[in-house]
Amino acid sequence: MTITVLPLSSRKHLLNIALCLALMWGIYDALMGPDLVSDLRSFTGRYGAYLLLVSLLFTPLSQRWLWVKRHLALRRNIGVWGFIYASVHVIVWIALEFAFDWQLMVDEIGGNLFILLGILAFVLLVPLAATSNRWGLKKLGYRSWQSLHSLTYIAIAAVMAHFFMAQKSDVLEPLLLGCVLVAVLLWRYRHAH
Amino acid sequence: MLIKSSEITSEMVFNKRRRLIAAGLAVLALPAVDKGYALLLQKQEQAKQPFPPLASMPELIPEVLEPTPLNIITNYNNYYEFGYGKDDPSKATKSLITSPWTVDIGGVGADKPGLYDIADIKGEYAIENHVYRFRCVEAWSMVIPWNGIKLADIIRAAQPNSKAKFVRFTTLNDAQQMPNAGWSGGAYVEGLTIAEAMNPLTLMATGIYDKTLEQQNGAPIRLVVPWKYGFKSIKSIVKIELVEHMPQNTWWKQNDREYGFYANVNPRFDHPRWTQATERVIGQLGRKPTLLFNGYGDQVAHLYPDPGNRLYFY
Repeated sequence: MTITVLPLSSRKHLLNIALCLALMWGIYDALMGPDLVSDLRSFTGRYGAYLLLVSLLFTPLSQRWLWVKRHLALRRNIGVWGFIYASVHVIVWIALEFAFDWQLMVDEIGGNLFILLGILAFVLLVPLAATSNRWGLKKLGYRSWQSLHSLTYIAIAAVMAHFFMAQKSDVLEPLLLGCVLVAVLLWRYRHAH
Repeated sequence: MLIKSSEITSEMVFNKRRRLIAAGLAVLALPAVDKGYALLLQKQEQAKQPFPPLASMPELIPEVLEPTPLNIITNYNNYYEFGYGKDDPSKATKSLITSPWTVDIGGVGADKPGLYDIADIKGEYAIENHVYRFRCVEAWSMVIPWNGIKLADIIRAAQPNSKAKFVRFTTLNDAQQMPNAGWSGGAYVEGLTIAEAMNPLTLMATGIYDKTLEQQNGAPIRLVVPWKYGFKSIKSIVKIELVEHMPQNTWWKQNDREYGFYANVNPRFDHPRWTQATERVIGQLGRKPTLLFNGYGDQVAHLYPDPGNRLYFY
């Protein structure tokens, strides 16, 4: 039985509105709390990582569940929202945490694997987000678009390693997400269309 | 199932994708490689490493202290026994029973051990007010107007003998009062040398802003050592022992690569994962430079005769 409550395009809009509201709520909550910078930094970092991982889960899960397959069109939105969360994360770091003090930022980055992984992830995500639209697909052609977007595997792996290193002692959450990612990567390695 | 030929992943793309997936798996392993490499290095460098002598460090003039608002001090806390998040301790049920509360003062170094009621301790000594910088090892800071008693007074009352070389502190560990009591596998433990404990800056705090200490800030009585990273300032103390040997504190036990016994604030000695040169002042934007010994060098630098020894700074 197929229940179609809303057409897919409406569901896409709903998803966009929900993720935008969630981000606004995160910003509001951080503004109300005692530490805007670290609250906003961890909110956007954590949920950005979740969104990116979910976008990666679409393909393997769609092979198993039809309802996931029917929503495959939402994958791009979720990935792009993951990038938007990541962008806020980076802006918080540059503008609020370091108040545009570039020298301090360079000192902080120098040889620090934790931050380098975060930067690597973001740099890789920029071209992917920029081409995650009809224009990008048309411009690149399906083959090279697909080839370019295989970079997500490295980007999301860097995100998870960064997430793991951000914890002082309770690493359970990034560890679980990391296990899911490893499972997806291994599945991906073995399967193709 | 019918698949359009344009949707079939070409072999070239597929092979490239496999390489990228393998690279992704390698990236995931990087934190472990980093840790292993650091452990290897640690074996070689251990205690002594070339380290700039303290005298060569630029003099930074400590600024006038402006206390952090009370609502920030009571809502932004590291108190893992009540949860890992910064707001967990303040949001947790106020389940800590702080009255009656006794502090057991003893150990081989105490000639006059005893069990003291918190009310007696507070009544016995004059409560002093001290506005101190508070610098967390996580590179954030606050300024806190403490009310408390000099630890030296409490130790003197226990009549320390020649065996009293270190002081070992223990936090209450009660799963019925603390939802995350088991996080470190036992009670939270901290330690000081006897000289550090007797320093007039070292405080046993019972209040902030002339208000009784709240649960999340370490009620009813906690240590304050302003020239050390915040984790040294152990909360909700039930036991103080004067001991002969250096006690192993909880964070040292948890992660000996990143945390040790002395943990004196030093902007020139970075944490393995972040810089200690600057700090985020909670409630403000941007960062400010961190001061050597958190700005209390005049009072405490003499406690560390070999300033080139990195053991003092983590």
